Amino acid sequence: MKGSLFAFLGGAFITLQGVANSRISQDIGTWQTATITQLTGFIAALTVLLFLRNKGWKKFGEVKPLYLIGGGFGALVIFGNIMAIHFVGVTLTVSAMLIAQLTLTFLIDSNGWFGMEKKKMKLPQFIGIAMMIAGVIILRF
Amino acid sequence: MMIVGIGLALIAGSLVGLQNIFNSKVNEQAGSWSTTTLVLGLGFLASVIIGVLFEGKQLFVLDNMKMWYWFSGVIGIGVVTCNVQAIKLLGPTFAISIILTSQLVFALLWDSLGWLGLEKVPFSFKQLVGVLVIVGGVFVFKWSERMGNESQRTVYKQSRKNVIAEK
Repeated sequence: MKGSLFAFLGGAFITLQGVANSRISQDIGTWQTATITQLTGFIAALTVLLFLRNKGWKKFGEVKPLYLIGGGFGALVIFGNIMAIHFVGVTLTVSAMLIAQLTLTFLIDSNGWFGMEKKKMKLPQFIGIAMMIAGVIILRF
Repeated sequence: MMIVGIGLALIAGSLVGLQNIFNSKVNEQAGSWSTTTLVLGLGFLASVIIGVLFEGKQLFVLDNMKMWYWFSGVIGIGVVTCNVQAIKLLGPTFAISIILTSQLVFALLWDSLGWLGLEKVPFSFKQLVGVLVIVGGVFVFKWSERMGNESQRTVYKQSRKNVIAEK
């Protein structure tokens, strides 16, 4: 029950983040929003981190350098998210983002890219993706 | 505009997928808070660089700032805390299914209510059906993934037992 509540709130926060950024960008601009929201998020996360006993950042050296730069994509994600919400609304934006995200993860898993354990893909997974795309088409037409 | 909007959302979503995989590799070594700090720090740097390229000094002109804009980044702390806890308590399949569903439900709610002065997208039966079909797809996808990976499931259960034992 506690886990479900966390998951439910987690999803709500993700949507709220996109909506808040979209609102803020109307007043100060898109790149300004991406800059400020990540700067303040960074400061907040760093503050939490400083209070933890087990910080873990010394382990960054053990990670392949390519994987360390994933955060840089955040700039483009926020930009795309804000613009998409302005153009097509929150529901369609979130839906299209989820489909792209799950499809890419699916491709990476099934091909074993980036050292992921190769997984065999089965028919129900294709049906799942087809249903999500059908849902977006229903939203739109 | 419709095509541009959906295209941008698809690109952003793909980058989220890629980022999740990269971040999970960092997470395995460094833990979730170090990873989050690194991810947001780099996202900030990238935004400053791209922002200056496109807008020059204009990037630092923040005339219409309202007080709460300075705190919007803190929502990210809620995202990380809730998602990490949910996956710990429920396992990835169930947790991610609920997280994605909740994201969609709130998106629909937001569009229909037009909170925070965003343009209202009127609620219709069609939209509800669309969201329900997508949610159905998420569950079919996530659960078939889990069925296909019995071995991983065992590993997860095992590691969960270890976590409980450590407590």
